[in-house]
Amino acid sequence: MVSFSSLEFLFRFLPVFLILYFVTPVKYRDIMLLLGSVIFYAVGEPVFILVLIAATLFNYFMGVRMWKLNEGFQLSDWQKKRRRRCMIEAVIVDVALLAVFKGLAVFVSNELLPLGLSFYIFKMISYQVDTLHKEIWDKPKFQHVALYFTMFPQVVSGPIMRYNEGGFGLQRTYSLEQFEDGFKLFVIGLGMKVLLADRLAILWNDLQMIGFQSISTPLAWFGAFGYSLRLYFDFWGYSLMASGIMVMLGFDFIENFNHPYASKSISEFYRRWHVTLGNWFRDYVYIPLGGSRCRKGRLVFNLAVVWLLTGIWHGNGLNYVIWGGVLGLLIILEKLLYGKFLQKVPFLGNVYLLAVIPLTWVIFAITDLKQLGIYFGRLFPFIGGAGIAVNGQDIMKYSRNYSVYFIAGILLCIPAVWEFYEKHKKHPVIVLALVGVFWLSIYFLSCSAGNPFMYLNF
Amino acid sequence: MKFLKKCPVFALLLSTGVLFTIIALGGKKTIYAQQEYDPLGAPLLSVMFTGVKDDIYPWQIFTGESTPVMASGAGNSEKDLNENEGESSGEEAVNENVSDEGDMADGNESGETGGDGNGTAASGNGEGQEDAGENPETGDTESVPETDSENSPEGNSEAGSGAEGNPGGESGEDQSGEDREGAGAGAQNAGSIGADALHKASDSLKDAGFERLAPLRESTHEEYINHISADIYGDAGVIRAATYAFETVDESYFDDALFIGDSRFVGLKEYTDLADHADFCCETSLTIYKALEERFSGVGTVPEALENKDYGKIYMMLGINELGRGTTEDFMGKYTEVVDTLRELEPDAKIFIMGIMRVSGKKSGSDAIFNNGNINARNNAIATLADNKHIFYIDVNEVVCDEEGNLEEEYTFDQIHLLGAQNVLVKEFLLGHGVVE
Repeated sequence: MVSFSSLEFLFRFLPVFLILYFVTPVKYRDIMLLLGSVIFYAVGEPVFILVLIAATLFNYFMGVRMWKLNEGFQLSDWQKKRRRRCMIEAVIVDVALLAVFKGLAVFVSNELLPLGLSFYIFKMISYQVDTLHKEIWDKPKFQHVALYFTMFPQVVSGPIMRYNEGGFGLQRTYSLEQFEDGFKLFVIGLGMKVLLADRLAILWNDLQMIGFQSISTPLAWFGAFGYSLRLYFDFWGYSLMASGIMVMLGFDFIENFNHPYASKSISEFYRRWHVTLGNWFRDYVYIPLGGSRCRKGRLVFNLAVVWLLTGIWHGNGLNYVIWGGVLGLLIILEKLLYGKFLQKVPFLGNVYLLAVIPLTWVIFAITDLKQLGIYFGRLFPFIGGAGIAVNGQDIMKYSRNYSVYFIAGILLCIPAVWEFYEKHKKHPVIVLALVGVFWLSIYFLSCSAGNPFMYLNF
Repeated sequence: MKFLKKCPVFALLLSTGVLFTIIALGGKKTIYAQQEYDPLGAPLLSVMFTGVKDDIYPWQIFTGESTPVMASGAGNSEKDLNENEGESSGEEAVNENVSDEGDMADGNESGETGGDGNGTAASGNGEGQEDAGENPETGDTESVPETDSENSPEGNSEAGSGAEGNPGGESGEDQSGEDREGAGAGAQNAGSIGADALHKASDSLKDAGFERLAPLRESTHEEYINHISADIYGDAGVIRAATYAFETVDESYFDDALFIGDSRFVGLKEYTDLADHADFCCETSLTIYKALEERFSGVGTVPEALENKDYGKIYMMLGINELGRGTTEDFMGKYTEVVDTLRELEPDAKIFIMGIMRVSGKKSGSDAIFNNGNINARNNAIATLADNKHIFYIDVNEVVCDEEGNLEEEYTFDQIHLLGAQNVLVKEFLLGHGVVE
């Protein structure tokens, strides 16, 4: 049920929750959302919800301690010091919690990693730092802090919203238009996830099924592009669903993706990809380390730290560290060497980005380093040697089967297409198209789930 | 109206959702009766979509026609018990009845000629079924010595060697205890048949090949609703088929071969050089139900392919996609029909019906449907069609499985398909299983 693109969520949890939410008087809607979020999380994680509750209580009380030291127009030094110590204590506990569970996941079992831990811990750290920096203007009520940490649209996979962006304690505006806008975003996100990402996932699965040693070089590249599109629509789709629900509930839209594939450099790409995570690392790691206004050596160090942490945050395998390391290296090189050049020459940046990013996603995708080596060998056969039982014609079959998803995906990567939608989203054709997208998604979900003897085709 | 104007997408989805639910409700007892859904986790309207996937469309509520892929199965097993009585496992028929048709009616008739031993076996079986599958084979195991006593003692030793030649007969670790007992009993029966066939075969028998075997029992209702493929034949057919002495051939042998199969054969086509010799009617998710109708790129439908070229060999491996659909009886009904049609269309061709390739232990242990217990049961059924004259049963599991009879994990990524590079094992297996006259 914790997946937004499941029939259970779409036809059981969400409708019931929406009805209850909107029949509840405005004053109590936060409580209703909190209640719904706890139930949502408990269904997915009946045991580890205790971790979420404990971490919520701890962070709330640490925040309260800081607020109590907040008295007076100008804070004296002892107040500042103790507030700072308070924040550091809270962040250390939060980071330790994340590290312990990540360690358990790596060395014992993946099942020991509580759902959404990486996301809600990052929100908690952000909450502590924002409290210290007085970016949270009013003393938060417990229900608001708890809601911020646990709200069901965001608890599993973000976006990592800031406390202030939630407008907690302020009057939210509710209107049918806003509900419709949010709902449309949700439907678009659902379509991206089910109709594009899930279909393209089959391509990647097919490549693994064949075995990387037996794929042709064109297919290896095709697979890398397919995986890049799949990951994008999986996560952008998810983020649109999450933020769509938030808009339906009366919150502001949180942007998490801003057409990253239209970027002209890796650093720009990561300002537009998973924006809330990038901003989090910028504000809570990179800038505190000194940011870019420092010596070159220090800048390199800061970037390296940020990107290694980003790699570790994303997963448990060594490949994620390599992935983060490679990105960090490329971004450092852009800053020091060729970044400006990429921006100046027309299309050079785009070509560079579209060639390099899929390769980095391949590192991201393949957790087994030996297999990763084989895949790169197929991408660049002159360094990797010959494959085994390679079918030279395989690209014909796969490009035929997947071209429709590639075309749709590539179109959606173009910012102008999204602008066109924004401009015409009330046009009857668009309205009907969205209805079609929704039911087509439900068709795929119905045929692949809940029906035990039809969920796979061999 | 204001609502529709302000929330057109939401309003349209609500109204279409209500409409779809009404359609689903309307067809629930008729066209959607076979569509399963979990009321806790999915909306009723999902049956409309799963229906579309099975080519059942909403307007058929009014026209009344539907094309159920899954037959009604064993729901009425009790009713059929009496009819089942005396239905022999066909062993006597080997001697008595050399007709090529060998359908269940034949089994019944031969049961009469077969004498008391058989009748007892079948009725013992039937009683077991009444116990709701608790231990349906008790009757059968008891009856085994009786049956055996009528046959020559050599039969047993033959059974032993037959079982060795076929790892499938021993493996089935995922099958329930009762199935294993069933298989064991079947093996003993089969041994005697094999011995009979080998030692007493008359000239006319040699000419027509083995008689088709009839099932030892029926699928139970429990097996049907739990999507368990019942092992209703035991491994008599497998053991009997294994008595054929296959020969090693070279690649030119496949110049007049046609392969019919699902994604497993697609792998064989794409990752070996067999396609340089043979033609392939293969497609991912192909089932026996559509094998003769499906249009394959390059060759057209199977009947068209057979018309356009004289094939000397037809290889068919189908059955994994059908797991969980209907009963073993339903599956075998269609499988038999397809094999007979192939025989009719290409009377001179050798037909190789291939055992379904198993899945890995990891998959088998965690999947209620796609597991090796179900695969073995269906393979036991398929093998009963082999006559070792025109129709041959071969089982590639011999070369791709580990000691426990599961697909070797190193050979697969998804636990179901061979890696591209491992398809050569299948090719080599086929090269070692030629039939040369």
